[in-house]
Amino acid sequence: MAESSTTVIGVYDSPDALIQSIGVLRSKQLGQLEAYSPYPIHGIDEALGHRRSPIGAMVMVMGIVGALTALGAEYWISAIDYPLVTGGKAPTSWEAFVPIMFEVTVLFATFTAGLGMLFLMNRLPFFGHPVLNSKSIAKITRDKYAIAIESAADSKEELDEQVAEAALRDAGATTIEIVREPKPSPFLTSTFVLRALGGIAVSCLVSGVLMYWVIKLFPVLPPMSHMLVQPRVDPQQSSSFFGDGRSMRMPVPGTVARGFMPSFVASQEQAASLVNPLARTREVLEVGKQKFTERCAVCHGALATGIGSLTAAYGGKPANLQAQQFRDYPDGKIYWVIVNGKNAMPSQAADLTVDQRWSIVHYIRALQRAQHAMDRDVQ
Amino acid sequence: MSDSAVLGTLPNPARQSSTQNVGENELSLTTVLPSNLQPRPLFTGHVSPGSLDDQVLAFPGKKPPRVWYVALAITTAAMLLGFTLFCYTIYMGIGVWGNTSPVFWAFDIINFVFWVGIGHAGTLISAILFIFRMRWRNAIARFAEAMTIFAVMCAAIFPGLHTGRPWLDFFLFPYPNQRGIWPNFRSPLVWDVFAVGTYFSVSLMFWYLGLMPDIASMRDRTDSKVRKVIYTVLAMGWRGAASHWRHFEKAYLLLAGLATGLVLSVHSVVSFDFATSIVPAWHMTIFPPYFVAGAIFAGFAMVVMVLIVVRETMQLKNLITDYHLEVMNKVVLAMSCIMGYSYFMEGATAWYSQNEYLIHAFKNIISGTYGWAGWLTISCNILIPQLFWFKKCRTSYFWMILVSIAVTIGMWFERFVIIVISLHQDYLPSSWRIYRPTLVDLGILLGSFGLFFTLVLLFARVLPVIATSEVKGMLPGSQPKHGRSHG
Repeated sequence: MAESSTTVIGVYDSPDALIQSIGVLRSKQLGQLEAYSPYPIHGIDEALGHRRSPIGAMVMVMGIVGALTALGAEYWISAIDYPLVTGGKAPTSWEAFVPIMFEVTVLFATFTAGLGMLFLMNRLPFFGHPVLNSKSIAKITRDKYAIAIESAADSKEELDEQVAEAALRDAGATTIEIVREPKPSPFLTSTFVLRALGGIAVSCLVSGVLMYWVIKLFPVLPPMSHMLVQPRVDPQQSSSFFGDGRSMRMPVPGTVARGFMPSFVASQEQAASLVNPLARTREVLEVGKQKFTERCAVCHGALATGIGSLTAAYGGKPANLQAQQFRDYPDGKIYWVIVNGKNAMPSQAADLTVDQRWSIVHYIRALQRAQHAMDRDVQ
Repeated sequence: MSDSAVLGTLPNPARQSSTQNVGENELSLTTVLPSNLQPRPLFTGHVSPGSLDDQVLAFPGKKPPRVWYVALAITTAAMLLGFTLFCYTIYMGIGVWGNTSPVFWAFDIINFVFWVGIGHAGTLISAILFIFRMRWRNAIARFAEAMTIFAVMCAAIFPGLHTGRPWLDFFLFPYPNQRGIWPNFRSPLVWDVFAVGTYFSVSLMFWYLGLMPDIASMRDRTDSKVRKVIYTVLAMGWRGAASHWRHFEKAYLLLAGLATGLVLSVHSVVSFDFATSIVPAWHMTIFPPYFVAGAIFAGFAMVVMVLIVVRETMQLKNLITDYHLEVMNKVVLAMSCIMGYSYFMEGATAWYSQNEYLIHAFKNIISGTYGWAGWLTISCNILIPQLFWFKKCRTSYFWMILVSIAVTIGMWFERFVIIVISLHQDYLPSSWRIYRPTLVDLGILLGSFGLFFTLVLLFARVLPVIATSEVKGMLPGSQPKHGRSHG
């Protein structure tokens, strides 16, 4: 339909006259017919030959899409991405997803019905329609009924005004109005509305950004700091509270950690009397193997032969723990070396717990026995 | 003869039966039914589509009466008081409320449930009664729908504030975030977010789409240029084309059907907040239907109360007739009976289960510290509405207003009973404590009433309170006479 098309509007006083005229005018095939009324008139769709509205099918499809969207989102979130056990139920239990599925189904379906009707089916908002800009619209939305004849969408011919007017008058129209082209007033066009909406969107954006900075910079609004600002000192922070300017304190000399009883041995000779408190179990040996591999094997070698991967690079001479000297060592002396270090070997105490040290001792014993296996070990 | 050939297409018989206008009904039924069973007229005096517009759509153009300004001043003052205390709560934290261990849910949740419930009457009238073709709904539907939206707005304030840090309320929504966590979809509180959010958006759309043809009528009758621009944009270019009405009616019917399911689900989900917990007197299967009935009950009472004011002050007595009010009062009575049954069931469940915690919780309702609240609930919700068995009470303003106010108070206290009484004595006697609301609690409650009535007053001023396009369609002579054209 060209923007400059002619529309002839006939106004009627009663719905009966309207319906009868539709029949008459349809048979004359003047152009595209559309009826207008202040409220829905029953039977008018049949008279105009309208088909059933497809909204029902759209709503059905979108309702199902809504249900599946909700189920999919809930399942992915609660069972896959962030598995959450609530009330002893498995993360995959879907029964509790049903209420939200229902709500989302209704949400999708209703918005399809409402907005689909408005935007897709009725092509609203549209402010440039000739009937909307006619004088008759005030009657149509009040208490009168109207038929508008436009040139048919598929025909190139212009609508013959005289013929259309005569036909409407013959069909009983009380008033005839000819709208030659839509006369959109400057503030009622769709362009205006789009510009207005665009302006609102831009102003929302600007005020949102302003708001953000105002809240960010305005010191009177502590809540927005999200509890990041707190009156406490963090580790490694400076503090003017103590004389040394540090916030952290050294423990009092002689402080003993909870659950830890240090052994008071001054020399390696004294340590010889220490007894390995751990039983020689598979778990202990596993720990020993792991820690030995992590901390000892680089120098002493995987088999404790004193040839590790670092030996060549640094030229040091780590002890060969397979030597007879060390095979004869009591457990306590090996333990003492792990704690205090010896010669070039540094102390490992900071990196190994007491149990881990004793586990390593067990593991070294196992390595020594494995490298010097005797016949009875095989039996 | 070509006319009749075109007109010969038979209308859908089912549709025809539902579309008979008042005039035809009267004609066909007078001979069959005795006089006391005949359908009552839905308006008095002469009403035509034109006179309807002049009566209903003219308000925004007129200067409001002085009483409107007085009412608006009062409600706005209440609203501002509530807003001030709202801000005070945000600034100070919710410690300014009376909530304390073990009553962690108090006025905030009571008011939320109360206001969501008030909203349900609007959807019931606009959706469920639409599907049942209850023609008396047409005159009151728009107003009730507006009340739904305002009530849900009031309701949404409270859980938002209840979270304690309302500026983090967006955590409620499931969106990918830098915290790497998601809401728990097995929690009824998250269901609530979806139910109330859907309810509000769907109600808003339902209301707005229904309003569009009426706004179009206002657009075309106003002389004021400012109003013209506003109404033009709001009406979205609605021009009453038959091809538009066709989709509109279909969409409206579908919306009504979907909103019916929705309204029943919303208060059920609200009741899940309680029913899925293990608190004695909350953990009950009767809660969903009991809550829905209570919501409709409270909502109808509120609608009756507001409608009385509207029809008196806006001279709408010929459109909102005594008959409308009487029917509404019958619904209130029916709901009151359902509530009575529910209360009885609560007691019966406690007795029949022989569960000592449940029996203790029920005894608290009728004889504990808050026993007065329990009895206030029972008398306001069950006993006083029984007055509506008498036609005199159903049609008299005095009794209507009395019962409506009683029901509003009673239903608020019902939520108080459910929440506070059940919580204040939980399983651990050492933590039992008496709950006392603070003035801030009461002020915010008052403020929510102020907000609600301010919005109602503004709505009545600027938008049509009666769905004119719906009422026009059922006036005598507004639909073509199928019988004659076929004969």
